Amino acid sequence: MIELQRLTKVFPNGRGIFAVTLAVREGEVFGFLGPNGAGKSTTIRHLLGFLKPTKGRAVIKGFDCWQESAKVQASIGYLPGEIAFPNGMTGMELLDLLSGMRRMNSTRYRDELIERLQLDVHLPIRKMSKGTKQKVGLVAALMHDPEVIILDEPTSGLDPLMQQTFIDLIREEKQKGKTIFLSSHIFPEIERTCDRVAIMKDGRLIAVNDVHELQSMQRKLFDIMLSREEDVAKLLASPLEVVHHAGRRICIAVQGNYDAFIRELAQYQVQSIDLRTQSLEDIFLHYYDRRRDER
Amino acid sequence: MNTALYKQMIKAQAKTIISYSVGSALYIALIAAIYPSLADSKAINHYLQQLPSEILKAFNITGMGNLLEFIAGEYYGLLFILIGSIYCTTAANQLMARPIDRGWMACLLATPNSRRTIAFTQALVLLTGLAAIVILTTAAGFAADAWFVADDALDAERFLIMNAVGFLLFFAISGYSFFFCAMANDEKRALSLSGGATVLFYSLDLIGKLAEKAEWLRYGSIFAAFEPGNIAQGQAEWLPVSRLLFTIGVLGYTAGIGLFAKRDLSL
Repeated sequence: MIELQRLTKVFPNGRGIFAVTLAVREGEVFGFLGPNGAGKSTTIRHLLGFLKPTKGRAVIKGFDCWQESAKVQASIGYLPGEIAFPNGMTGMELLDLLSGMRRMNSTRYRDELIERLQLDVHLPIRKMSKGTKQKVGLVAALMHDPEVIILDEPTSGLDPLMQQTFIDLIREEKQKGKTIFLSSHIFPEIERTCDRVAIMKDGRLIAVNDVHELQSMQRKLFDIMLSREEDVAKLLASPLEVVHHAGRRICIAVQGNYDAFIRELAQYQVQSIDLRTQSLEDIFLHYYDRRRDER
Repeated sequence: MNTALYKQMIKAQAKTIISYSVGSALYIALIAAIYPSLADSKAINHYLQQLPSEILKAFNITGMGNLLEFIAGEYYGLLFILIGSIYCTTAANQLMARPIDRGWMACLLATPNSRRTIAFTQALVLLTGLAAIVILTTAAGFAADAWFVADDALDAERFLIMNAVGFLLFFAISGYSFFFCAMANDEKRALSLSGGATVLFYSLDLIGKLAEKAEWLRYGSIFAAFEPGNIAQGQAEWLPVSRLLFTIGVLGYTAGIGLFAKRDLSL
């Protein structure tokens, strides 16, 4: 459905994306993961025909994204990472404009989406909060029932409740057989929705994996607070990987061996457990770097 | 052209277009209304004869012989040019440079319309506004002539030519402004390019008129093509300059649309 063939874009400052090759199958939810500045948005801009590739090409439904962007646009819905709307319009006027530009006959699904997201469409856009604008963007991306949905960092800046609504919507679209391409710099965001994930770093594609594979590779750090001083030594002596410890607070790394982790902890009196939020680099990139070093 | 985009953009520009048109129409009506009281005044004619010819030329004042000459000198010579030029540069900026700079061009491009279609539609919006301003001004000129000036009928043919050449002047100015706005990433840069070029052209024309030795400077200015005073007296070679202005405008718009269709957009 979506195909990148050695897609390369070199900007005057030497940065860019280099020979990115991947294929997204029909009906698949594909995650595009990478730290900020890895080239995710640049890749997406090629899919939309905003940028001309230096080399290689991007293809959606058999149409070249640069040369036939109008044809490509007919079957895709796009939610930009940083939403910008024309000022001086209400949400409804904007949606009317975009429906008109798409020559849509029916606004049934659009109205349904507005209803579901509880969007106040008569508010002027300049008075909307970021979350509300995001909703307008989402309606605009989905209202024409596109076959391919492209979302650039869709849940950044949304509150957890709204994020959940969002994820539900994505899952529904998936059930309808839509192909979804979703970029993010946070793994949990992608973990809940995607089938396969591509990881990008410094403009290069590092890996394309099944999301379950990634989950098993993921290294999580837990901060354990023990109630009793005497348990500390015992836990330190256990087979679990202790990253560091200070007093009764012990940080343990877990990668796949959740069961062993739980069984070990069950022997102590645990005061609290916290999952440490980690950057993408901490979760995966060290894994790939290590694997490369081994070669 | 995309109709939905055209309608929305006209709506967004309506306030600007209406205020420019009404302002221009009221001013020309005012000029026509005061003409009868000044026409018979020998003092004014005497005063004009005493002014250096360069000054009169600079502001396109050829005389006060009839209503058309008066309008040509008092309105088309300076204020009309000013209003039109400001509209051209700011409207081109709002229609092309702003959406690119602020990023909402992405919204428009994420619809199944080619970049050419979108740029062409924006150009049409700009030209519609321009036509509205000139047409309303022309109509106001005729109306004021009928209402306020009893015996001195406006020379309709020459007045129409004056407005047509004026429109073509703005077509040319808006053409290069559109080109700059389709090229730039930054709204302010686009405005400084199109505004800068316009001010430069105007200055060249003005200096050329004021100083005899520097008259050749006028050949470098687009404004030299529009001589309302001479048109009023029936002395202007308006057809060749009209062709030139039309060509400049067409080139500006074509190049602007072509460039916009091929450039990288970081939206």
